[in-house]
Amino acid sequence: MTDDPTGYALPVGSYEDARAMVGHRADVRFGHVDVNEAMVRAFCALVRDPNPSYWDRDYARAHWGGLPAPPAMLMTWVMPMEWQPGGPAPTPLLTARVPLPGDTIVNISNDTEYLRPVLEGDRLSVTEELTDVSAQKQTSLGRGHFVTTATTYRRQDGEVVARMTNVLFRFTAREASS
Amino acid sequence: VTEGLDYSQRFWEDVRDGEQLPAVVDDITYRRVIMNTAATWDYFPGHHDPEYARSQGQPTIYLNTIHLMGFVDRVVTGWAGGRAFVVRRRVSVRRSVYAGDRMVGEGVVTARRREQDRGLVRHLVDVDVVVRNQHGEVCCPASVTVELPARSPGRAP
Repeated sequence: MTDDPTGYALPVGSYEDARAMVGHRADVRFGHVDVNEAMVRAFCALVRDPNPSYWDRDYARAHWGGLPAPPAMLMTWVMPMEWQPGGPAPTPLLTARVPLPGDTIVNISNDTEYLRPVLEGDRLSVTEELTDVSAQKQTSLGRGHFVTTATTYRRQDGEVVARMTNVLFRFTAREASS
Repeated sequence: VTEGLDYSQRFWEDVRDGEQLPAVVDDITYRRVIMNTAATWDYFPGHHDPEYARSQGQPTIYLNTIHLMGFVDRVVTGWAGGRAFVVRRRVSVRRSVYAGDRMVGEGVVTARRREQDRGLVRHLVDVDVVVRNQHGEVCCPASVTVELPARSPGRAP
């Protein structure tokens, strides 16, 4: 994949190819690390979130039963690792495996429902389903298709922790005018 | 109790319809966008490679949706308090937030309601959040439902 500038190896295909994939459910994907304090703190330092739930362990234990992960981190816990010894190449997200004409992507919207808190020590997994691919649309960025996926996040004991619907735009960038 | 942390907590009964949340301002430098990539494990090149971002028709690298969601949550839970549980969050990315931009997040309470859930009463508050850039352009409108602690939790709706 060294000649793939995105690292996402977007497969090229037609709108009909993409439509044929609607309803496809990807194999369950497991997170590579447990929910952990180092990553929680790094994220809170990034966003500058002073919520005491993430910074005071006694407070977190009293109110959540452990150190909670910021809800926005959901996708991070199941991101493929950039590299691992001897293993297979990281499995790209389902949205990056839909055959379409566009050569790049940008995210458009996200709707997440949280059923229970995710705590330190949890190991998450996801199942993704392709639920829609729009006809070709023109936007300010270029011409392309909106790709909708529905994702269910589960804890190691099988409990569903969250359900997410995400829309991204798969497009060919407009020729630069300047 | 850790120094520098704000432990104040808003209870459901304290919330008023139409209440404005304090605005949150955050300057997004190149360093922050790179931190964004590293902290979220999202190595899509639009978030760390300006040349790639320009090839997409974007002026430079930009924050990912995870960061925007984290900022929206910060606006809401910073006002509500550490015991608020995010039940649902909807975000749209209308314009990207680029390295060099200033984000301003503002929120307003749109509803306060109680819901029965498996025999328990959940005390919910709906908040609309808008994230704008330094030009006043809407980058990320959002709506968030949070569950708050209640002073009289047992009372059925």
